[in-house]
Amino acid sequence: NIDPESLLPKLPSPDELRPFPTTCAVIFRGQEGRVRSVSVDPHGIFMASGGDDGYARIWEITTGRQLWNVKLSDEDAVDTVKWRPGKDASILAAAAGETVFLIVPFTILSPDIEQISRDLLDAGWGYAASKPSTTTNIAITKEPPAKWSRPGVRLESKGVLVQATVRSTIKVINWHRKGDYFATVSPRGQSSAVAIHTLSKHLTQLPFRRLKGLAQSAQFHPSKSIFFVATRNSIRSYDLAKQELVKILQPGAKWISSIDVHAGGDNIIVGTYDKRLLWHDLDLSTKPYRTLRYHQEAIRAVRYHPGGLPLFADASDDGSIQIFHGKVVGDLMENATIVPLKVLKGHKVKSRLGVMDVDWHPREPWCVSAGADGTSRLWN
Amino acid sequence: DIKMFWMEGELKLEMEGEEVIDLIKALFAESDHRKKAIAAIRGTSLHLLVNNLLHTESSPIPFEFLVNGQFLRSSIDDFLTKYGISAETTLNVEYTRALIPPLHVSSFEHDDWVSAVDILSQSSSAGKWAKGVQSGQERILSASYDGLLRVWNMSGDALATSAPPNNGGRITSLKAAKWISDKKIVAAGMDNVVRVYKYDEDERTITPSLELYAHRWPVNDLAVHGPSNRILSAASDGTVALFSATAKDNPAAPSNLLPTSTAASNKRQKLSKPEKVVPSRGPLGTLSGHASPVSSVLFKPEDATVAYSASHDHTLKTWDLTTSSCVDTRTTGHSLLSLTALPQLNLLATGTSARHITLIDPRASATQIAVMTLRGHTNAVVSLDTHPTSEYGLVSGSHDGTARIWDVRSIKASSGLGEGQVGEDIYTIQRDSGPGRSSGEGVKVFGVRWDQEVGIVSVGEDKRVQINRGVGS
Ligand SMILES: [Mg+2]
Repeated sequence: NIDPESLLPKLPSPDELRPFPTTCAVIFRGQEGRVRSVSVDPHGIFMASGGDDGYARIWEITTGRQLWNVKLSDEDAVDTVKWRPGKDASILAAAAGETVFLIVPFTILSPDIEQISRDLLDAGWGYAASKPSTTTNIAITKEPPAKWSRPGVRLESKGVLVQATVRSTIKVINWHRKGDYFATVSPRGQSSAVAIHTLSKHLTQLPFRRLKGLAQSAQFHPSKSIFFVATRNSIRSYDLAKQELVKILQPGAKWISSIDVHAGGDNIIVGTYDKRLLWHDLDLSTKPYRTLRYHQEAIRAVRYHPGGLPLFADASDDGSIQIFHGKVVGDLMENATIVPLKVLKGHKVKSRLGVMDVDWHPREPWCVSAGADGTSRLWN
Repeated sequence: DIKMFWMEGELKLEMEGEEVIDLIKALFAESDHRKKAIAAIRGTSLHLLVNNLLHTESSPIPFEFLVNGQFLRSSIDDFLTKYGISAETTLNVEYTRALIPPLHVSSFEHDDWVSAVDILSQSSSAGKWAKGVQSGQERILSASYDGLLRVWNMSGDALATSAPPNNGGRITSLKAAKWISDKKIVAAGMDNVVRVYKYDEDERTITPSLELYAHRWPVNDLAVHGPSNRILSAASDGTVALFSATAKDNPAAPSNLLPTSTAASNKRQKLSKPEKVVPSRGPLGTLSGHASPVSSVLFKPEDATVAYSASHDHTLKTWDLTTSSCVDTRTTGHSLLSLTALPQLNLLATGTSARHITLIDPRASATQIAVMTLRGHTNAVVSLDTHPTSEYGLVSGSHDGTARIWDVRSIKASSGLGEGQVGEDIYTIQRDSGPGRSSGEGVKVFGVRWDQEVGIVSVGEDKRVQINRGVGS
C-alpha cells in the first residue's frame, strides 16, 4: 500500500517561500458603497480606487490618507481604474459608464511631471482632423468607435483632461507596457466590446468585427505584439501585426471573470465565477495546467506580481484574498511550481459580494484589495 | 566580600558567584520570601547603599539587575538554565536605574493628522546649538497633514501657526519638521519643497524664509546639523539632498521644479497671489543610489560629514557628504521606514514594514547583517528616536497605534535565523485617544521623539501630540 501522495515531488512549505503578504497594514476608508477597482501607481507611492459612489480617488499607500478625489459620474459606478505604466509621467485612467477618463492629478505631482503628463494627453488633439481616415475603405457614415473630447471645466480643473466615450459600459482597462495603447472591454458591446485606444492620436480601433462569445477581459502580451481576449468560456490570443488568431485556450470554465498574463508571456491565470482559479501554460496545451479550487464563492479578480516576485493573488466573493506562490522557470522542461500560501481575511461580505479587485505593489510583496464593504486594504 | 566600584559612570557591584545567586534567588523568589529578602537588603545594604551614593535618600530610585549584560526578568534558576550557566561561573551583575513607566502627561489637539514632531529644550540638539533653553521654556514643534506647522508651549498653548505656503495649487501636507535653532525651523512634505521658516516667539509667527528645490516626489524625512548649518532631505524620488539653511550658500534652484516653470502651474501660482516672494534655491549635493523612496536620513552623530539613509529598497546606505558618494550599502529583507543611531554601541536602529526594528552595525568591519531584532509591534515601525541619556535605550512609533520603549539589553530567546538576538519592548505607550480599531487603525503613530526634559512625545492619526513621562524621572 503506497500512498500516492508520497510519490509526488515535495512542495516547499510556505515558510520557505517568504516574503508574501500575511496581515492587513492599512484600511482605506472614506468611500461610499462598493469599491470596484484598485491600482497601485508605478512608483508604489499612491493607490487609486474607484467604486459605486462614482468617484475616482488617490491615496497615500503607506498611511491610508486620501489625497485626491473627483466625482466622475452621478449615475454610474467607477468600474475600473488603472495607472499608466512608466515612471516619467503620472496618468490615471478611470472608466465610468461608457467613458474612459484620462487624468493628471496635478495636486500631487511636481510641475515637470505634470507637464510631461499633460503633453502626453494633449498630443492627440486635432489628430483626427489633420489626418482624416487613412483607412479609406471604412464607410464615413459609420459612427466612430469612440468620441474623444474635453470633459468640461469642472473635471478639467481637477486634472481630468481627456475623455473617450465608447458605445457600452466599460468594465476593464488594460494598458500596453509602453503606455501609448490601452484596451477597454465593454462586455455588452457586441462587435465593439473590445477596443484598442491610441493615446497619442486620440484614436480608437475595434480589432474584432465578430467575437465568439461575450468578452470579459483583454490584455496585451508583456513583450510581443500579441493580444489576449477572454470571453465567457475561452481565451484567444491574436497576433496584432499579422492580424491572425494564434491560439484558443479552453479552461473548461462556465464563466471567466478575469485573466492575467505572466511577465514571461507564456503563462496565464484565469479566475472564474464558478469559484475556480486556472493556470494555463501556453507551452503545454489548450487545457489548464492546474486547477485551484479554494474559494466558496466566485473569483472576481486574479493578478500576478508585476515586479518579479513569484506571487499571484485572487479576490473572491467569499470575502477573502488567496495568495499563491507561482514560480515560472524559463526552462521548457520544467513546469511552474504552485503553492497556496495564505488566505487574507478581513473584508466583510455585503449582499453576497466580497472582494471585487486585487492589485500588487510594483516591487514589494504587498497587495491591495477592493471590498464590497466600502474599504480598500493594503496587505503586507 | 562585596566589592563596589564606579565604571564609566555606571555603578557596578561585584560579588562571588554563590553570593549573587543567593541574593538574586532571594530577590526573585515568590511571595513572603521575596518580601523578607527585599526588606532585609533594603534595611542593611544594597539598595540604600546605591541610593545613598546617588544622594537620593528622600526618594529612592528603583533599580534593575543585569546578569552578564542582560536584564534578569525571570527567576534566577530559569535564567541560569536558559543561558546554560553553572553555579560555579562568575557572574557579572550590574544594577541599573529601572525605567519608570511613562505615564500620560498631556495631549494637544490638532485639526488634522499630525505627521511629525520635534522638541526644543536645553538638552535637545537644537537647544544645544541655540546655547540655552531655560527650564520651563521648552517648545514642541508639530507638522500636520493640513500643511501647517505649530509651536506649542508645555501647557498646550499653540504659540504660533505657520502661514500656508504658496505652491501652485499643490497638496501641502507636511511629513517632516525639525528645529534648526530656537529661531529657525525646517519642514517638508508632499509638495516636494524643503522650506526654512523663521520662528519669532515675540511676534508669534512662523514665516517661510527659504524654499529649497531638489525633489520630484514627496519628502519623507529631514535631518539638520546646526553647527554646519546643513539640512538633509530624504524623498520618495529615491534621492537625499544636502542644503545649507542659508539661502546664499546654495546654488540656483533647478528651474524645471519651480512652480512657475510650466504654463499650467504658473497660472495657478499667479492666481494665488503670493504676498511676499521667498527666495528659492537648489541643493549643494544630491545623494543618488537608492532604487525606491528614501524614508529617513541622519547625520552621523559624531561626524556631520557622514550621513546614513534608509530606504524602501531594503537598504541602509552610508554617505560621504564631502564627495556626495555612497561608501557602504547594507541590504536587509524588508522596506526600511525609520532610522536612529545608538552611537556608543556603534549601531543604527531601523524600523521596517515587517513590524520589527533591526539593529545594524554600519562599520565596514561588521559582517553580520542584523546584530539584533526588536519584536513586538504589530504594524509598520515608522519613527525611531534614541534615549536622551542611556546608550541602550530607544523609542519607536508604529502604525499599530503604540510607541514602544526598548533597551537593547532586554533579550528573549531567539527563534529565527540571521536576525541576531531578539529583543522585547519594556513599555508600550497606547494613545490617550483610545486604542483604535485593529492594528492601530485610526490611531497610527507617525512620529516620536524622546527628550530628557519633556519626555516621550508622539504624534499621529488621532490628530494629537501626546506627551508621556516617567513620574519622578
Ligand atoms: Mg513552461
